[in-house]
Amino acid sequence: MRVYEVFCQEAPGGQHIHAGNVLAPDIELACQYARNSFARRGEARRLWVVPRDAIREVADPDLLDPPGDHRYRMGRYFRAAVEKRKRLRAKYAKGPVA
Amino acid sequence: MSDDDRVEEFKQYVRGGGTIEPTDWMPDEYRQRLLRFVEMHANSEIMGALPERDWILRAPSLKRKLVLTAKIQDEVGHAQLLYRIAEDLGKPREQMFDDLVNGRTKFHNVFHYPTKTWADAGVIGWLVDAAAILSQSALLRTSYGPYARTMKRVCWEEAFHLKQGEDICLTLAGGSELQRSMLQEAINRWWEPLMMFHGPPTPPETDADLAWRIKTKPNDELRQEFLDRYVPQIREMGLTVPDPIVQKDPAAGRWAYSEPDWSKLYAVVSGSGPASAQRLGFRRLSYEEGAWVRNALTGRSLAAA
Repeated sequence: MRVYEVFCQEAPGGQHIHAGNVLAPDIELACQYARNSFARRGEARRLWVVPRDAIREVADPDLLDPPGDHRYRMGRYFRAAVEKRKRLRAKYAKGPVA
Repeated sequence: MSDDDRVEEFKQYVRGGGTIEPTDWMPDEYRQRLLRFVEMHANSEIMGALPERDWILRAPSLKRKLVLTAKIQDEVGHAQLLYRIAEDLGKPREQMFDDLVNGRTKFHNVFHYPTKTWADAGVIGWLVDAAAILSQSALLRTSYGPYARTMKRVCWEEAFHLKQGEDICLTLAGGSELQRSMLQEAINRWWEPLMMFHGPPTPPETDADLAWRIKTKPNDELRQEFLDRYVPQIREMGLTVPDPIVQKDPAAGRWAYSEPDWSKLYAVVSGSGPASAQRLGFRRLSYEEGAWVRNALTGRSLAAA
């Protein structure tokens, strides 16, 4: 018996989201069990059924969120731009200064 | 069902908003057009890293260097995501790189131009990325599922690119006369490539990429959105748009602009732009210099390569 992780696409074009897992003797039955556990109400467009041992978990914070300040990678880091634009707008409200 | 009926049914499905996944059947024409479109997008991301790369060492502060490096890393990351989509459509990556460096495939017109001053780095981040975000936001509704999902991530990251570029431009616009004229000159240089960016005003009914809903908005509509959003922003900074006829017709709700010379656009994207040869040369050099790394990772010997 093997554990199979099940990913379910609910909305057309949507991402496959982890739904849970099933225990099955082979991939064919794993697909049937996945359908029975996670798609009884026609809510799934597609299922992905993947042997758990094919999945590697990565949870090392040094890799995923390394030390150092990386806030500058977000648009909201540049809030000062709003003030800069306001000042320019006030200064040039009547067109370019000759 | 005949093949023609099957293709017709597919067309109706995508036109009606249907989404296609990689494991679905698709007509050859759809696959080929989609592949060409995604491959050009991927090429543009990787080539788009080069104009700004020139400014990492010359950026005026450590903060600007860090920000620019992060942006360039994002662009190369976008290329990785897009090349994966293209690979799943059937074209190996080595073939795509080979076609790119040998001029057999294209990349966006704006990356065929040189950068002269730090203001160019600002205008690229702000206005070139703004134009790209408009195209990419329209692609959120493309018929190909993996492409639409990739655009979600790309658009989210592009928001940072636009903000950092806008911040560079606003800083220059609020600075000395020299800084202001440097910015105005950069806007003047980039205006024509920006007006060409979304492509010729092909009538929507003859645009096959629209018919297959690979893209979702006509070229000229994207250009109108660009003018509508960014001309007022440029003008309120006390700067000018270097095209005297640019203005909005309040009745029609459309912007007038001087029609670019479209033959020039075709020449530029075919490799005759002012920086085309230099950029492709640099890309070819890094591709060749990286060959030993790719071979080491895939376990091939240099002799076999």
